[in-house]
Amino acid sequence: MSSDVSIRIEGLWKKYGLPIPEFWTKGVGAVRKGLGRSQGLQGKEWALQDINLEVKSGETVGIVGRNGAGKSTLLKVLAGVTGPTRGLVEIKGRIFPMIELNAGLHKELTGRENVRLLGAVMGLSRREIEDKLAHIEDFCELGSWFDQPVRMYSSGMLGRLGFGVAVNIESDVILIDETFAVGDLKFQNKSLERIKSMRESGATILLVSHSLETLQFVASRGILLEQGRVLSSGTSLEAINAYEKLVFRSEQVRLAQRVKNRITSEEVNIYGARLFGESDETLTEVHMGKPFGIEVDFQLNRPLKRPMFSMGLLNAAGILCKWNISEEDGLIGVGGDPDRYRIKIYYPKNNLMSGAYEGHFAVREGATFETLERIAGIVSFAVIGENRSRGIVAGPCEWRLTRSSASEPGVEIIAQRIQTGQ
Amino acid sequence: MAVPSTYSKGVYINNEAGGHKVAKFFSVLYALVMRDITSRYRRSSLGLWWAFLQPLILMVLFNMLRGFVSIPSDGIPYLLFSFSALMPWTFFTNAVSACGPSIINNAEVIKKIALPREVFPLAAVAATLFDFFMSAGIMALLMFYYKIHVTLALLWLVPLIVLMTAIAFSVGILIAGLGTFRKDFIFATPFLTQAWLFATPVIYPLSSVPESSRFWYTLNPMVGVVEGFRTVLLKGEPPPADAALWSVIMTVGLLALSWPVFRRLSGYFADVL
Repeated sequence: MSSDVSIRIEGLWKKYGLPIPEFWTKGVGAVRKGLGRSQGLQGKEWALQDINLEVKSGETVGIVGRNGAGKSTLLKVLAGVTGPTRGLVEIKGRIFPMIELNAGLHKELTGRENVRLLGAVMGLSRREIEDKLAHIEDFCELGSWFDQPVRMYSSGMLGRLGFGVAVNIESDVILIDETFAVGDLKFQNKSLERIKSMRESGATILLVSHSLETLQFVASRGILLEQGRVLSSGTSLEAINAYEKLVFRSEQVRLAQRVKNRITSEEVNIYGARLFGESDETLTEVHMGKPFGIEVDFQLNRPLKRPMFSMGLLNAAGILCKWNISEEDGLIGVGGDPDRYRIKIYYPKNNLMSGAYEGHFAVREGATFETLERIAGIVSFAVIGENRSRGIVAGPCEWRLTRSSASEPGVEIIAQRIQTGQ
Repeated sequence: MAVPSTYSKGVYINNEAGGHKVAKFFSVLYALVMRDITSRYRRSSLGLWWAFLQPLILMVLFNMLRGFVSIPSDGIPYLLFSFSALMPWTFFTNAVSACGPSIINNAEVIKKIALPREVFPLAAVAATLFDFFMSAGIMALLMFYYKIHVTLALLWLVPLIVLMTAIAFSVGILIAGLGTFRKDFIFATPFLTQAWLFATPVIYPLSSVPESSRFWYTLNPMVGVVEGFRTVLLKGEPPPADAALWSVIMTVGLLALSWPVFRRLSGYFADVL
């Protein structure tokens, strides 16, 4: 393998558990069948399938994927904790796995004793440990707790202890699994800082995190895993976008099922809903900044005096980003007889940030404010954008940097970027 | 893409630059043993005294037993007779029963960090050695009290301790390896050691074993060890040659069986923990 490659994976397949010889599986299966029992020993699922990956030294690769996609398995195989079933895994240099660090500590021992233990387990010699002990003690910020049994620690303190040991070990390859959620913001920043300096010193980092923001800032490359396979590989932004799309799709299938199950009610029948664009074309995703609309096909089964509709848009975190009522927007004194209708809700100014959204639609009697029908997730869609900016509200932002000293009054730097949203 | 035939077995290579594998192994071993010893008696009022108390209580119990049943002791004071054998025996049972769950107890580490898995049962055995040396202190006091003549044969204790450790380790890793997959092996351990006790001259002398079955009896590797301790400590003579030799042969055989089994199983520990 060439000198600048740090990790090489070729045709990696992984299946958990003791490999049971085929004749045994078949034999036991036949016996069970003969006894009229169900076949107990079924072939296990592949946790990883045909993974091919090459990571150059100094690269930081983020791994994203849904639960059970094989992210942790990949890290475990790389750490050498569990062997590959098939394929080649080659890693150069000292590996340091930072996988759920607050485990592996002994409850009855003090923080200091645990640091010695962890250090040894992580491959430090006794002298190295003694040399680093003071530094680690300082990093953990545990004060007098450092000499107390760890069973008295809070979970945050435990995490800090493990992380303190972890980041103070120099290694060539670092495997990180969800450790950023440790401690308070200050400690998290300190940890991020440390990871950055390790990266600058040439360490290769593989990172699994559910925080897409972290991945975006830390990782230069990204890989999307799904059902043990590499679904997408490219820049971290590409992988994150692919991941968001994947999550959104599966969510969409789930929501479609839910809407289907709710179409009949006594007072309102909902036949369907769709997303449309500027020229009424049906969309599956919306580009940031582009106008779009939602159309709902429904039937009223009872007369309404003042029909009132509402549409709320919630983001993936469940935060209501937008909520509009038909009456307030000027749809007054229309319809109301039992009939089949189509209602179009159009957003000419789309200020939604990129991300996944779902629409909550409700039909009310305006006179009494009685709710006839309310469907959460009548549509779901993704807003896609090329920018890294996140949040709830989209839109350009003007940045102005001026010197506070008036000595150079002419200098004023204005940065402005209009988000076109394509 | 089809799976390349060359990798049909799964290969993991990590060429750590300047990897002091052996030094690292001992560094971990030391840390684990220190952890076991320092944490074991924490939160107990008697603390380290338990290391003395355990063999003392057993000794008292055996002597009470002798009050009811007559057990020959080859003319040696029974207290000495029983304690010289109890020392290696208590070590053996404690070490084997500590080995069994050593993998499960260290699951959190095993699931995360690649280490030679042998280090965990080995640490369990080594930590038990600490207790052994504590009881050796009691033995020394007893020998002093009974004015036992000490000779250079005492040096035989070194190979005997190594042999005793090797037996405990080879039985222990087998139970640890199998017990990680099926806990039945761990639950069965006390009964195994109990039965083993009756097949070992701990409470009775080797001379009370019928001559006809002596050969089969000495195939038990603990016979050579226990009898060896007794001869060296109390008679000041080298251990009986045939029993010691068979003990070594059986230990090597046992290790040749249990270590590969453990190695093979250890690759899947992280999968099942």
